[in-house]
Amino acid sequence: MHKLSRSNRDKLQQFVAITGASDKNALQALKASDWQLEAAFDVFYSQPQPRSNGDMRRLEELYNRYKDPYSDMILAEGISVLCSDLQVEPQDIVTLVLSWHMNAATACEFSKEEFFGGLQALGVDSIGKLQEKLSFMRSELKDEQKFHEIYNFAFGWAKEKGQKSLALDTAIGMWQLLFAEREWPLVNHWCDFLQDHHNKAISKDTWAQLLEFARTVDPALSNYDAEGAWPYLIDEFVEYLYDKSVVEK
Amino acid sequence: MYRATIIDFEQGCKCLEAGVSELKRILEEETSETRIDPKQYLELYTTIYNMCIQKHPHDHSQRLYNKYHDIVEHYAKKTVLPCVQQKHDEYLLRELSRRWDHYKVFVKWLSHFFNYLERFFIPQRNYPSLLEVAMKSFRNRVYLEVQVNAKDVVIALIDKEREGAQIDMELLKNVLDIFVQSGMGTIERYKEDFEMFLLEETESYYARKASRWIQECSCPEYMIKSEESLKKEKERVTHYLHSSTESKLVEIVQDILLVSVAKHLLEKEHSGCSALLRDDKTDDLSRMYRLYHPIPKGLEPVADAFRIYVAREGNALIKQAQDAAANGSLVEAQVLVGKIIDLHEKYMVYVMDCFKNHTLFHKALKEAFEVFCNKKVAGSSSAELVANFCDSLFKKSGNDKLSDEAMEATIDNVVKLLDYISDKDIFSEFYRKKLARRLLFDHHKVNKEHETSMITKLKRQQGGQYTSKMEGMVTDMQLAKEFQKGFKGSLTAKPGGIDLAVTVLNTGFWPSYKTSTDLNLPREMVECVEAFKSYYGTKTNQRKLRWLYSHGTCHVIGSFDPKPIELVLSTYQAVVLCLFNNTERLTYQEIIEQLNLSHEDLVRVLLSLSCAKYRILNKEPASKSISTTDVFEFNSKFTSTMRRIKVSIPPPPIDERKKVVEDVDQDRRYAIDACIVRIMKSRKVLPHQQLVSQCVEQLSRMFKPDIKMIKKRIEDLITRDYLKRDAKNHHIFNYVA
Repeated sequence: MHKLSRSNRDKLQQFVAITGASDKNALQALKASDWQLEAAFDVFYSQPQPRSNGDMRRLEELYNRYKDPYSDMILAEGISVLCSDLQVEPQDIVTLVLSWHMNAATACEFSKEEFFGGLQALGVDSIGKLQEKLSFMRSELKDEQKFHEIYNFAFGWAKEKGQKSLALDTAIGMWQLLFAEREWPLVNHWCDFLQDHHNKAISKDTWAQLLEFARTVDPALSNYDAEGAWPYLIDEFVEYLYDKSVVEK
Repeated sequence: MYRATIIDFEQGCKCLEAGVSELKRILEEETSETRIDPKQYLELYTTIYNMCIQKHPHDHSQRLYNKYHDIVEHYAKKTVLPCVQQKHDEYLLRELSRRWDHYKVFVKWLSHFFNYLERFFIPQRNYPSLLEVAMKSFRNRVYLEVQVNAKDVVIALIDKEREGAQIDMELLKNVLDIFVQSGMGTIERYKEDFEMFLLEETESYYARKASRWIQECSCPEYMIKSEESLKKEKERVTHYLHSSTESKLVEIVQDILLVSVAKHLLEKEHSGCSALLRDDKTDDLSRMYRLYHPIPKGLEPVADAFRIYVAREGNALIKQAQDAAANGSLVEAQVLVGKIIDLHEKYMVYVMDCFKNHTLFHKALKEAFEVFCNKKVAGSSSAELVANFCDSLFKKSGNDKLSDEAMEATIDNVVKLLDYISDKDIFSEFYRKKLARRLLFDHHKVNKEHETSMITKLKRQQGGQYTSKMEGMVTDMQLAKEFQKGFKGSLTAKPGGIDLAVTVLNTGFWPSYKTSTDLNLPREMVECVEAFKSYYGTKTNQRKLRWLYSHGTCHVIGSFDPKPIELVLSTYQAVVLCLFNNTERLTYQEIIEQLNLSHEDLVRVLLSLSCAKYRILNKEPASKSISTTDVFEFNSKFTSTMRRIKVSIPPPPIDERKKVVEDVDQDRRYAIDACIVRIMKSRKVLPHQQLVSQCVEQLSRMFKPDIKMIKKRIEDLITRDYLKRDAKNHHIFNYVA
């Protein structure tokens, strides 16, 4: 093993700590990306993870710890245990990120495939390793592209099975949670407006378009196009803001 | 005569000069006819001729040509010019004219003399013709010297004529001809040395006049003066100006007199456009049209004034009705439609007569009507008012209050009026509901020709789909009659001893009515229903009948002590009375239990039978309202002078208007959905703005769609997976196949 400079050694350590990769893989990834940590992560995660039998056995054990006694799924109780093992609150947004990695169909349930798939995607097979990954997962929310994906994922995940729209209360809760991670000054007004005026479920289109709105329209509404294709609810929200003199016309 | 000798140039010239002097002398004398002695003429001609055909070096053609030039030059410079320059004013013109005439004659004779040159020499050398040479000399020696003065005098005379004086038109014509001829084949001299100044002067002349007239005259007076001025200027052109001046002159006069003051003129307070319309001054309005028609865009302010006036009149009618309604009177609202129709007829006459059917005025009328025809009066939209109007119109027709032609004319007017109303679907809904009532309850009063005529005319204007339900309803009545005949024919005996007539309605065409199958009919009526049901079953396949007892009529003979009276009742009323066939007294509770009618319906029936005009039943206590503890008794003492009475029952207080608006709203939602899907299916990809505007356009024949509603429908269609937003640009939609 050739000598590594101090900074590179630090990077190697960091890399292993965050990804849980073996030293050999870590070194490979870092070298391939010219010792740029971010790029190295990309390289590492784009490689298919070889599944060793040992890994599978450990995952199996983990799964059995949380799975519901009567069905082949992890249900609310199991998730609760998982969270306390990870030392996070069940409402912590990192659980959403975890669910996103698993591509979970709905909240408070993980199927076996989802559980396995998620953990493998993260490259972990133990609680300890998963716990180490938590800060990485939190950091993913700061990435614009990933936040976008997680936000849109959240709609399908949070709604009731078999429903097309998201119940208002759940939606508001989700919005509060998500926009705590990514600042949007109008989020509270939005939630107030919905509770005063709407009282109906939120459609998928409205959910998706709200992020667009938060991203592209500035809080003073100077670049809001009234003739644009914004959903009806957002148009009403803008009128509400004018009416309440939150924004000057 | 053939000469053997050669003519020397100087010799020849001498001869020439003698002839020229003779010519000049004759001209000066101004005898009625200028004649040169033929012998002399011939001599001159021959001399020149010979000088031209002489062989070289005695061929004097060139020198003769030059000589000719000198002669005319000399004459112009030495004779013509001095004479003219001595004079002033009109005398200048006279002298100029006279000298010009002389010159023309002079040149004519000279050209005869020198004619041989014209035949060969001039064409050969491509020189200017003799006439051209002469004209050029005149222009250079005379015209250019005197044209400015001449022009000034002419214009001054023209102004005098404008003020009313008589002037010598022939003189002007002749003088102006000089200007024209001096252009030597072009109109340039006339244009630059005269016309330009004339137009300038005309402009300032009429500007002065306009500013005075507009202050002093009323609009009609001003227009008459303008018309006069235009006429006079055109005459001027025919009398002495060159024809090319006409269009320019007319344009200036129109511009100064009509265009620049248009606003001021049309808006004159007591005599402007609106006053003329108010006072029915068709002559003046026709004049206004005539004057402004030839001016490009000239009619627009007039059409505008017309539109504003008509809209004002219409709005006033609306306001009148609105105010009356606010004070509690609804009569105004009922006659409003008739008044609007009259208004339309009145102003259509103006459009056709005064404004010669010009499209601009048709458009103005239409726009004016669209403004006020869509206002609400006392909560009723105009669509509803027109439907009410039609209802009363057709109910009247039974009394023959209107002749057939008058009825047809009114129908035509109503259909035209509908064109101005944007919510046409609301009209059709109201109309259908009222048509249903007319057909079902007043069918002996209904005039089938009139009803069909209206429907046909509506169909022609709005399309078949608009009227399909109405047509279906009318056909249903016809079919029902025939079916009834068949039913009657099939009966061997009257079911239940009753004459039964049934009208079968096709559910799709008619407004929806609540059924009342829960009603407990008396035995006789049940037999009727069963008889008809079985007959119907034999004649049709798998159709279900829903009975609407609430809409039936019954003729019942009441055996009262004084005399029996035939009562015309609703089926509900009849059913209640039939209960008293078995017993004299019944409590409210007993009645309601036995019949299974709803509380609201029963109260209405009992009111009509016990508290209204005819007391068929006696009520204890004898109050004016029904309570659940009341007791009812058959009033055997009841009588009336008539042998048949209709006991009317007030209709249930459903808010018909609200229901119609709800139904129409629902239909509109479907229409918008279908429209959006249709557009997206053909275009596949479309930005939001365009989708909305196309949707509005396609639906505008039926109603004016609300933009917000369109947006909501688009979102709904996204949720239902008919459309989706484009991944890159969320303002663009893609069709989902």
